[in-house]
Amino acid sequence: MITIKNVTKNFAKINKKKEKEEFTAVDNLSFDVNEGEILGILGPNGAGKTTLLRMIAGIMQPNKGTITIDDLNYEKNETDIKKMLAYLSGNTKIYGTISPYELLKMCAEIYDVPASEIDSRIKEISKILNMDSFLHNRIEKLSTGQTQRVNIARCMIHKPKYYILDEATSGLDIITSQIILNFIKDEKSKGKTILYSTHYMEEAENICDMIIMINKGRIIATGTPEKIKKETKTNNLRDAFFALVGESHE
Amino acid sequence: MNKTLLILKKELRELFRDKKSLSMMLIIPIFIPLIIIGMSALFQSQTEADVTTYNKIGFNYELTPTEIEILDTLEIDYSIASTEELEENFNNKELNSYIIKENNNYIINYDEANIESSGAASMAQSYLEGYKSILEANYLAENNINVEEFNNLLTYEQKSVEQQNFYSNYIVNYAFLFILMAITVSATYPATDATAGEKERGTLETLLTFPIKSKDIIVGKLLSVTLSSIITGILSLILAIIAIVYSQNTFDIYAGANLLNSSIIVCSIVIIIAFSIMISGLCIAIASMSKTFKEAQSALTPLTFIAFFPGMIVFMLNITNNWLLSIIPFINFSVIFTDIANGNLNIFYLILMFVSTLIIIIAVIYYIVKQYKSEKVLFNN
Repeated sequence: MITIKNVTKNFAKINKKKEKEEFTAVDNLSFDVNEGEILGILGPNGAGKTTLLRMIAGIMQPNKGTITIDDLNYEKNETDIKKMLAYLSGNTKIYGTISPYELLKMCAEIYDVPASEIDSRIKEISKILNMDSFLHNRIEKLSTGQTQRVNIARCMIHKPKYYILDEATSGLDIITSQIILNFIKDEKSKGKTILYSTHYMEEAENICDMIIMINKGRIIATGTPEKIKKETKTNNLRDAFFALVGESHE
Repeated sequence: MNKTLLILKKELRELFRDKKSLSMMLIIPIFIPLIIIGMSALFQSQTEADVTTYNKIGFNYELTPTEIEILDTLEIDYSIASTEELEENFNNKELNSYIIKENNNYIINYDEANIESSGAASMAQSYLEGYKSILEANYLAENNINVEEFNNLLTYEQKSVEQQNFYSNYIVNYAFLFILMAITVSATYPATDATAGEKERGTLETLLTFPIKSKDIIVGKLLSVTLSSIITGILSLILAIIAIVYSQNTFDIYAGANLLNSSIIVCSIVIIIAFSIMISGLCIAIASMSKTFKEAQSALTPLTFIAFFPGMIVFMLNITNNWLLSIIPFINFSVIFTDIANGNLNIFYLILMFVSTLIIIIAVIYYIVKQYKSEKVLFNN
């Protein structure tokens, strides 16, 4: 289980008067992510979704609060936690000069996958994601969709317990987006836990068990999609969001 | 597999597949033999200056057959004219020097600031010394004094005790400085690419989500840059050796020089390895703290000069080594090589240099690993 407790993240920025000022990207958030569920983190651009997921993935540290994953924390168990995670964002870049096969082999070795299993895992994942035709081509020669499939493959190679997906379908064509959504559904069926941030409300409504809506670094709604729609008396999450944002502005 | 080795493997794979890194590593050494052969040819041409460019000497008096014989032996192109004409010809550069005779006193007129005129003055001095010896011998014979016995009252000879040929020593020392410079230039690109470049391409964020410690990432990157620097250094050394062998067989200025003994080559390799570790560590340290590739390159530019100039100053001022200089970064590499090239191998200084380099780099890398917390590295801008 992932437990987020009173997590706050501040950044310093320079204002128009060239003075340093602090702004809060994530403001005192607390929630749990239960095993086997897909938790959707919804919000507009700048809401704090990426900062939150980066803190959970261990590439940013909170100013306040704690993040524990299976009762481990980053101060003492950074590599143990990272072995359980796979992080993928719409912006995640991978090495262009190597082939998908070489990348997957390297990732498998980094995650301590037994050497005897590496080739069979690569074959299996390549078949699932239909990567056989470009498995040995350089990644820099691949299309955006093929590259994102390689990215998904590198997330799957160590069979992580938790997936952290930050706007993973952002900017992708409909076919590649569908591949990612199918991958999320497949992994859920295997009992994996997935944190999924997006600003595509319909997408989240289709695949998420639980939703956290955030705006300006704060949680404005939490629960199942049905619960949120019911509470906001709306028919979809998009309307629910606007209803909540209107309320929070008031 | 050890995580450091995995990072090293990844970095080397990227390095050897990147055309820019490869060209930096392999093309720069090609300039070393060109520098060696070019400098050899230049010094050779200076030592082989054509005598006709500085042998025109004028006289304001009639020359005896004995004097003419001496002048012919010395290949002096002589002319006789009045003092005024000689002055005019000298000012018009038709003469390199002229001699005015007043009674038994001869005055050699020349321009000290002019290399040809100075050469002509030396020839004039040789002519006068030769003629004076003949006059002295005649005088002694006329007075019944044994000339040979008289001349042997005091004898002396000159013998050079230099162990190395001046020109070859000069060229070899400069060639070594250029090897150090080649290593520096070749280290900056992969170091920048592996740190600031990886940050700019966005792959560092992916790398930092992997279960790898900062120490493994930094040390792996350091080892790959060090390895590429050593390849450049060794390749430069091999090409330098080939160029020196060629130059020794082609140019007379290398006569008597003993440049390619095993101790010089082995010590050069030790210095190249130590220098590669030092420069790679500094490049990684500086570039990893830079926000962009461009910023890293700007920050690393002064290193090229720092790597070259202290060594050049040490060599030009002919500074001799001591234990303190052996531990001062950048000065130590050159001063030890100059010592070795002069035939003064001191193993203690060599060990001091190697150990002090390792200590400095371990301290620098320890500091960088402490600083290399993912957020600070990725988002410090």
